[in-house]
Amino acid sequence: MYELITNLGAWLTSGTQWSGYDGIAHRLAEHLQYSLLATLIAAAIGLPLGLLIGHTGRGAFIAINLSSFGRALPTVGLVVLVFLASGLSMWPVYIALVALAVPSIVTNTYAGMTAVDPDVKDAARGQGMRWHPLALIQVVATATIAAYVSFGGLGRYVLDGLAQRDLVQVMGGAVLVAVVAIALDLVLSGVQRFLFRHRPA
Amino acid sequence: MALPMNRRALLGGLFAAASVPALAACSGGITSLDGGNGSSGSGTGSSAGGLTIGTANFTENQVLGCLYAAVLQQAGVKVKVRPNLGSREIVIPALKAGDIDLLPEYQGALLNYLAPKDASAEPGTMQNALILALPAGLQVLPYGQAADSDCFAVTRATARKYGLVTLADLADLAKQNGKLVIGAAPEVKKRRVGAVGLQEVYGVEFKEFKSLDSDGPLVKGALKKGDVDVANLFTTDTDIAANGWVVLTDPKNLIPSQHIVPLIADRKADDTVRKALARLGNVLTTDQLTQLNSQVDNDKKDPEDVANAYAKEKGLAK
Repeated sequence: MYELITNLGAWLTSGTQWSGYDGIAHRLAEHLQYSLLATLIAAAIGLPLGLLIGHTGRGAFIAINLSSFGRALPTVGLVVLVFLASGLSMWPVYIALVALAVPSIVTNTYAGMTAVDPDVKDAARGQGMRWHPLALIQVVATATIAAYVSFGGLGRYVLDGLAQRDLVQVMGGAVLVAVVAIALDLVLSGVQRFLFRHRPA
Repeated sequence: MALPMNRRALLGGLFAAASVPALAACSGGITSLDGGNGSSGSGTGSSAGGLTIGTANFTENQVLGCLYAAVLQQAGVKVKVRPNLGSREIVIPALKAGDIDLLPEYQGALLNYLAPKDASAEPGTMQNALILALPAGLQVLPYGQAADSDCFAVTRATARKYGLVTLADLADLAKQNGKLVIGAAPEVKKRRVGAVGLQEVYGVEFKEFKSLDSDGPLVKGALKKGDVDVANLFTTDTDIAANGWVVLTDPKNLIPSQHIVPLIADRKADDTVRKALARLGNVLTTDQLTQLNSQVDNDKKDPEDVANAYAKEKGLAK
């Protein structure tokens, strides 16, 4: 175990591991690209939809069910399905990631729009309605599936490491994904606090 | 927004981050599968503690594992199957650790894994080489008549267009256009019967290695759609003939003979097990195995049902 951790440390800090096509820097950039682009597309779909539902007050039932449906969708299954239909491209990955993010963006926007009793809002939060960063973080974590259909990102280390039984590589990839998720969460909550600094929590 | 909420979001993200590796891990246990050396100590026969069969993550290996289970159960051995564990890089360590006891293997690929560059073409020689190369505690039982090799295939259109017949032709083409893309399972990137050997033996330089699956829907879909030029497939796949794909020949014998051979822990290899598996090995032909694979891949049948039906039909099990 100790050896594994020192090897992991060496893997994460080695200069050669960070450079080149299969290097951490490149894989990290790919991972961020997949995650951010997918979340942006999802927001472009989800925000207007959530606003519409919140504004008109219609379709809330659908929105909440859409959310549950989205969470139940097996992402890897969706990737393989779209892959078989469309061939080898980034489409399967983006479609799956967007499908993952849209429901939570829609329901969160809708929940944010309705000026309801704070108790009701708390109840909604308790049932899993959260603010947007969760969508992005979920996408960051799930963007590892790009590697499943031959693309890059940090999932490359996890999948290749598993197939080649290179534990250090598997753990390195997993640690990096977790770090990216935590870092983005911190950045976004900082931004959020800054933007809403004049409002009571 | 309140802090506890962010913390919750963070936890959610972490959980999701962990879930994809975990998903991959359930088809390929990372370390020891149940963290122990098994319940049975050395010297205990299979009849005492029962026997655990592990299989790699592709169709044919599941079918073979289920066939082993069927004939062993018929012989009165208590059997458990742990299917779809992962690549050879995963299953052999699991066997060494005692997490599984028996594994359907392939002569040449196993030899390449144990002693790279030691592979030869003739099955008898290879069996001897395997016996020498295996670590203490493991042994191979007699190889069966069925064989399944790795192969490298291109579509008929690609073969016609560039006049591809052999793997050497592939090297020439790769040099000329510099754009060849190969699709295979991730482990094949580092294997001798894979990107490494193709480069060393034939001088094939691929522009890109696309990590897909072991002769599964991803790699076959990519070849069909032209997303990869060359695909690593198995010769016992009926889809090769069905799609008119061309298997490039191997004049320099990079790909060794691949008769199917049971790899087993010494402590489980008693006479009952040996006899049952030898009988199966003598009955099962390459063509029959190919048909069984097709029933799973194309007719979407359950590997266990397919194996049991075959064993019954051949009088190997009731």
